[in-house]
Amino acid sequence: MLSASNKRLFAAWIVLSAITAAYLWIDHSADDHGTPVASTSATVGAIVLALVKVRIIMREFMEVRHAPRLLCRLTDLWVVLMAAGMLGMYFAGKAVA
Amino acid sequence: MRPFARGENPKRELWLMWFAVLAFYQLYTVVFFVLTRTQPPGSPSYTAAEVPGWFASHHDGLLVGLALIFVLGGLSATSIALITYTIRRMSVSRAFAYSYLILYSVSAVPGFLFICVALTAGAMRPERDPRLQQWLYDLGFLSFSGTMGVFLVGSLVWMAAILLDRNRVFPKWFGYLNLCNAVTEVVVAPAWIFDRGVFAWNGLIAWWINVVVFGIYTGVFINLLRNVIIREDFGTGPLPDLPPRRARRHTAAAEVA
Amino acid sequence: MTTTQAPPTEAAKARRVPGQPDMWVLVLVESLIFTSYFGVYLFYRAQHEAAFLQEQAHLDLWLGIVDTIVLLTSSWSVARCVQNARAGRYPAAVRDACVTAALGLLFLALKIAEWAGHITAGHTLTSGEFFTHYFFLTVIHAVHLLIGLVVVGIVVRQLADPRRRDQQVVETCATYWHTVDFLWVLIFALLYVAR
Repeated sequence: MLSASNKRLFAAWIVLSAITAAYLWIDHSADDHGTPVASTSATVGAIVLALVKVRIIMREFMEVRHAPRLLCRLTDLWVVLMAAGMLGMYFAGKAVA
Repeated sequence: MRPFARGENPKRELWLMWFAVLAFYQLYTVVFFVLTRTQPPGSPSYTAAEVPGWFASHHDGLLVGLALIFVLGGLSATSIALITYTIRRMSVSRAFAYSYLILYSVSAVPGFLFICVALTAGAMRPERDPRLQQWLYDLGFLSFSGTMGVFLVGSLVWMAAILLDRNRVFPKWFGYLNLCNAVTEVVVAPAWIFDRGVFAWNGLIAWWINVVVFGIYTGVFINLLRNVIIREDFGTGPLPDLPPRRARRHTAAAEVA
Repeated sequence: MTTTQAPPTEAAKARRVPGQPDMWVLVLVESLIFTSYFGVYLFYRAQHEAAFLQEQAHLDLWLGIVDTIVLLTSSWSVARCVQNARAGRYPAAVRDACVTAALGLLFLALKIAEWAGHITAGHTLTSGEFFTHYFFLTVIHAVHLLIGLVVVGIVVRQLADPRRRDQQVVETCATYWHTVDFLWVLIFALLYVAR
């Protein structure tokens, strides 16, 4: 039982680290022959991946998985709120520019 | 519960304090946001040539509004007294209450008196050298926005008291909210460096976000102080729970009678 | 709140908030406050993309990735600390908490080295809009991390002394540490990767 939950934590850590490493690929693919260029898809991708990581941290490390449904829904709502806040402000800035 | 003489209602005195707290924060909001329009603050990027214009357009509001603060600003003591009273009601050492009391007894100066003195001095002689006017303008707003250390440490003292308390005077989540408030006080510090942008004294991060957090925090603690008065049993142990809403209206009616 | 199939005791055990539920007020409020800082940063970044990119080029993505992995590992360690404490394996739990604190200190050391590098290269709080946000977000996060080190200290003190052991306090402290971790995950994505 306990080793199972331990394995689960390890798996979560592996996934989180792998997503972190995936940022290298985003960074690389967004470059235009080595010079960084502005890229909406890279920015949105970075934000969405980060929020996926946040949700994994909340679910697995913070044990929201075992928490009452209310907290599960609340934290999911918060991830959506954070996404809406960040992407909303980003696109508002683009619209202004 | 210690015995009281007939007709004596110690809660009446606490309610007097609480309504004074409410009156103070209303006054504060009306004077700074409506009468003087000193909040949101004027632009920190004004040149010496522009500052006299700001004083001219705010002249009457500054004199009337800030005079009100000079007369009634002392009401701020009631909120500090009531909060200190609630810390004394906790199971924690009295040192917390004393720290809070001493810290906040100087809070009126950075909190509002300094800005009032500087800006009324500016409004008093509009014909003064513009560079001196700009100096008063900077002094006023920086003394208001740049001096958050008192409130930062005060919030942390209150937080520590709430988290260590076993008498359940305040809910623990409010202790954590104190930490959130304390951390936003740190964020005002760059106002000493920037005269434009989001970190200036009227900036999006240094002013707007902080004001929203502080406003919510203040509203919450005024409400919680009210709950503490309702729950107060004048004993020393844990505070009883808030009675259900219906019973509360009953006792409130009885107290008034 | 509980499932209908499981007996009430089982269900209560299966679904409970780790630590003091009150701590979640801090988690949710802090994430909203940070989201507003991120929003402000993204709003200005979207308007001055070229200027931000030019300054951002001075950041080392690899360093950011190492920082992130260090903090993720510290979070993993504190999660194991909670499980070990729950199972009564206190020496292992104390070890996990110490590992967490050590990784937190390592993160802080890496950050200080990074700041020193930027400052000596002439990139300071006032040298440009991107670096203003960079220093603001990383410093305010470091403040949270310092508070986190105090919090982990409380965990160690609790677990080391049999008379003090309180699972709820351990879980509450762990929740705070994970918050510091996930805030960094967002800061990393926004400062080092966003284009």
